Amino acid sequence: MKIARLIANYGDKMKNKKNGQLKIQQMSFMLIAVTLFFALVGMFFLTLQVSKIKESAKTLEEKNALLLVTKLANSPEFSCGAAFGSEKTNCVDSDKIMALKGDIKKYGNFWGVSNIQIRKLYPLSNNTKECDLSNYPDCNLIKIQDKEITSEYSNFISLCRKESSNGEVYDKCEVAQLTVSYGK
Amino acid sequence: MSKKGAVEMPFAWLFALIVGAFILFLAIFAVVKIMQNENVAIDASTAKEIGVLLNPLETGFEAAKTTSLILPRETRIYNRCAKDETFGRQTIRLSQKSFNKWSDTDVNVGFSNKYLFSENYTEGKKFFIFSKPFEFPFKIADVIYITSANDKYCFENSPTDISDELSNLNQENIFVKDCPNNSIRVCFSGNCDIKVNLASKYVDKGNSRMYFNDNTLMYAAIFSDSDTYECQLKRLMQRGEELTSLYIEKSNIIAAKGCSSNLGNDLSTLSSRFNEIDSSVNLNSAVVSTVQNIQSENSASNCKLW
Repeated sequence: MKIARLIANYGDKMKNKKNGQLKIQQMSFMLIAVTLFFALVGMFFLTLQVSKIKESAKTLEEKNALLLVTKLANSPEFSCGAAFGSEKTNCVDSDKIMALKGDIKKYGNFWGVSNIQIRKLYPLSNNTKECDLSNYPDCNLIKIQDKEITSEYSNFISLCRKESSNGEVYDKCEVAQLTVSYGK
Repeated sequence: MSKKGAVEMPFAWLFALIVGAFILFLAIFAVVKIMQNENVAIDASTAKEIGVLLNPLETGFEAAKTTSLILPRETRIYNRCAKDETFGRQTIRLSQKSFNKWSDTDVNVGFSNKYLFSENYTEGKKFFIFSKPFEFPFKIADVIYITSANDKYCFENSPTDISDELSNLNQENIFVKDCPNNSIRVCFSGNCDIKVNLASKYVDKGNSRMYFNDNTLMYAAIFSDSDTYECQLKRLMQRGEELTSLYIEKSNIIAAKGCSSNLGNDLSTLSSRFNEIDSSVNLNSAVVSTVQNIQSENSASNCKLW
């Protein structure tokens, strides 16, 4: 009888101990599950935050390009000033632009956009001929900065230069399109 | 049994309490961190947005332009300037008030083509931004002055051209008459907060003296602190030096078409003059006369470069 009671007591004790261990195990698993859940939620939240920041950076770049294109023609590196008579808005000095094209490395990310180019719209031409110092002004596209782009904004400008004919120097202005693009 | 149970229960409770407290601490820590990061992101994007919104202030041939900027929270705009690289760099850092505490942001948003003149930091919810072209002798840049609506500037008894220009701006915090009592007084003779000497072309502000050449730089000296003024002036000279190279190259291009401006040598001299200007003290009569000579030669030329 005594032995049987002892065995029963021992059995109860072991059962309680096992129950306690089981509870702690359950709690540990629960804690691991809760931690994993919160880690996953945190990661999801972080991904959302990063994508939100990327989106807002893209929007700001877009806004920069949009606002810049309307005013770039008036910046000192582009504007005609009074070189072609009175001062004009949205007038780009193409002789100065050719000088700028040769010196563009110094300007790097000066305007905060990837690509700036000017395309002559009139007189019309079917072929695109990129300008360099050897063919200038018999060309219709001046690429000032040229990087990979995603989207672009443009504005109409008058593109003026000094021209000579029979020893006579005169001012020649043509209609052109100034395009500003932002990169990837 | 009950004794053992009493020991077992507190252990389970203790364990749950410690782990619970740890989880709670982690959650609070994460929320605080996320809020701080969110503040940093907001500060950085607002700073960038301010920079982007400064683009329309590029002037054509108008004399000056003004606009206002209203932010949703009390904000400090820190103006930083660096002279390194070819054009130096303008950086803006924002700190916004949240729960009565200024956010601690170390994200600087930089621009190479902006020249902001202001105090070390400008504080408020509403800011006035006013821009004016700087020509020396050709247009070098549009300089931008930022002031807070909290700071009122009084230009009583200023020369007619200055008071006319400032009145035309219609900027709420600039007064040319009937100045409020708490305004910062700018005077052209006598003693006040900011003293301008038009004859010797300098501005005395606090313990510093800043020299200027024209009204554009005079306003710059009035609205900014000495360190910002000297640094931005150097940046303007750096851009002037690069523009001089462009004009030298342009003169070669148009000379090939038979249109000679004969300004090549003068522009080389001007370029070295720009390089020598490290401080506003160097804006002396020698530099100014070189600039004036080149300006008059260009105006008289048949082949104007600018």
